[in-house]
Amino acid sequence: MSPDNDPLCCCEYFDIHQERNHILLCCCNCQDLDESVESFISGKGIPPNKARGFMATLQDRVRVPWQGGARRVAPDAILPIFMLPSMLLLATISIWWTISIFSFMLLLLSYLYYCCMRSVKKTNFFLIWSLMSLIILLFIFEFVVMPFLEILVHENLAVILLVILCITCIYVIKIRTNRLRYAFENQMENGESDKIGRMHYCQICQISIPERDHHCVWFDCCIGSHNRFLFLIAIALAIGALLYSSNLTLTSVCHPFHIYKTILLPDDCSDVYEQFELSLSFVSALYSLGIATVFGIFLMYEVLLISIGLTGQEWRALPISAKLCCAITAHRPYNKGFFGNWFRAMCFCQKYQKIASQY
Amino acid sequence: MMKKVLITTIVVVFAIILFHPGRHAKYYNFIPVLDVISEFVPIKTQIEQPNLKNCTYEFYSDLILSGTEFSSEDVYNSYKFTTPLNGGEYIPQECNPIFKSAIVVPYRNRQRHLEIFLNYMHAFLQTQRIHYKIIIVEQNDDFPFNRAKMLNVGANEAIKSDFPCLILHDVDLFPLNSGNIYACSKKPRHMSSSVDTFRFNLPYLGLFGGAISIQSKDFKRINGMSNVFDGWGGEDDDFFKRLEAYDLMPYRFAPEISRYTMLFHKKERASNDRWKKLKYSLERQNNDGLNSIPNNYKVVLEPLYTHVIV
Repeated sequence: MSPDNDPLCCCEYFDIHQERNHILLCCCNCQDLDESVESFISGKGIPPNKARGFMATLQDRVRVPWQGGARRVAPDAILPIFMLPSMLLLATISIWWTISIFSFMLLLLSYLYYCCMRSVKKTNFFLIWSLMSLIILLFIFEFVVMPFLEILVHENLAVILLVILCITCIYVIKIRTNRLRYAFENQMENGESDKIGRMHYCQICQISIPERDHHCVWFDCCIGSHNRFLFLIAIALAIGALLYSSNLTLTSVCHPFHIYKTILLPDDCSDVYEQFELSLSFVSALYSLGIATVFGIFLMYEVLLISIGLTGQEWRALPISAKLCCAITAHRPYNKGFFGNWFRAMCFCQKYQKIASQY
Repeated sequence: MMKKVLITTIVVVFAIILFHPGRHAKYYNFIPVLDVISEFVPIKTQIEQPNLKNCTYEFYSDLILSGTEFSSEDVYNSYKFTTPLNGGEYIPQECNPIFKSAIVVPYRNRQRHLEIFLNYMHAFLQTQRIHYKIIIVEQNDDFPFNRAKMLNVGANEAIKSDFPCLILHDVDLFPLNSGNIYACSKKPRHMSSSVDTFRFNLPYLGLFGGAISIQSKDFKRINGMSNVFDGWGGEDDDFFKRLEAYDLMPYRFAPEISRYTMLFHKKERASNDRWKKLKYSLERQNNDGLNSIPNNYKVVLEPLYTHVIV
């Protein structure tokens, strides 16, 4: 069957049978579902090929309206859109809900991260999770905490500036990785890849990355020498924004006190679960603090690696005994001393930028 | 081109929404600490104890410049203070006082707060060597709390006992700096501009509640506060409007001497028609206020305070 030539409206699409379909019809006319339900009711059980067919139809029909025809969305990508808000809402019920939801979230994300690293499959789950976190945290800060009228304009401005700077950094990080694709394809063809050295192929991005550190699933992009220093700056900015905004939120909803007559810190948060707005702000501040802690640990790890002249890829290959003494004793062929390593990290950003911009 | 214009417009709209001044705490003008001392209005010389000298301005400027800073936990400590005269009136024995103030506190159903308040405030006020009297005005019915009416009744009592200065004070607010002098200044003054539960910021410029000081003659001139505000909120905004109408714009002192701590309590429901009442506030000014208070109240002199039951 050949598709007709009328242009699609934003809610229409061509389904797996190459037929024109509409997203509002998503629950109509599924042969596989009809047949499996029929055989299930008549006591014969569901035939496996019907179940598979149903799943394929389901995946095909979950779409978002888009210019030029509705687009298919992967189920793993839409999961965080519902999961994260519902988890945060549940956490506002009481202190025990908050503790259990956050522990569950930590376990779940570590498990999913572990699975993702093992299967080497490209998924947008983590990217969408980070995006949702950003949107939800910003929304709560601007439209739940701000109306308490306790935060000054310059404090709000500082938070927004930090966020914008951080997003810009992440954007540049992603742009640089994308440019590598064109830059190095060209060099590979000319057999010049040896000149660059320490190249590593990333199975998720499917390109070679110079001095590959790791694939960051949260930003969905590979980190190598071309963007490693920028990555550190982005993480540091993110920590700054998260800590500052959570401090502003906590001092608004809790009882604050001054230390050294300048810094305001919260000291008594016992009343936050009495009102929904207060508990929502409190939970979002705790979530920010949690992310900031994880980022902080990660930042220290990256700083250590750069100082001793290793990439994440090389670090992971080391035996545990070497890791325990911070790899000081390990064989490090690219080590140039503390200052040399940092100098390299800063300048290589520029170097690969130049190579990449030629193509 | 269209796209660029669209994106710019969206960014500008977002920036306006995010940084709209109405969504933030306010920066405000205040009298700097060094100029505070010249703002106070001393009482016309009444020699109460002829063998004593008058309290000096030097004592007060020292107190303002190097007052002790308390923390919010200090409020709960128990303090030793000289037992005041019956009815909670105190006349300092160190020197002849140059300031004389009545602390008027509207009150209902907060026994615990009242105990903390009396214990802390007597000790706090006695270090300031002022002649003061604490008047607790209790609303003794089950109708919504009418804070302004209570303040009017209390102020009326204070004016009758010849107090030239009124301090209208909430029972859950506690000054944290001993340099926050409880005396009247030339203009009405918003004393609690830096409250800890508001992150020591000012939520909006027209805020004129919490702890304020006003000279009795000014309070009489504007006919006190409006009696129509039942329930939480509105009456202090109305008060602000009345002062504005008589060109008595209130001001504030430096935030470092205006720090307060507020005890937590659940917000009572704001009355719904308060915006409507605010709209017509000035038309009511002449016949709704100090001259229209109920007269069926009784005054009881307790050891630590004058109890007015309405």
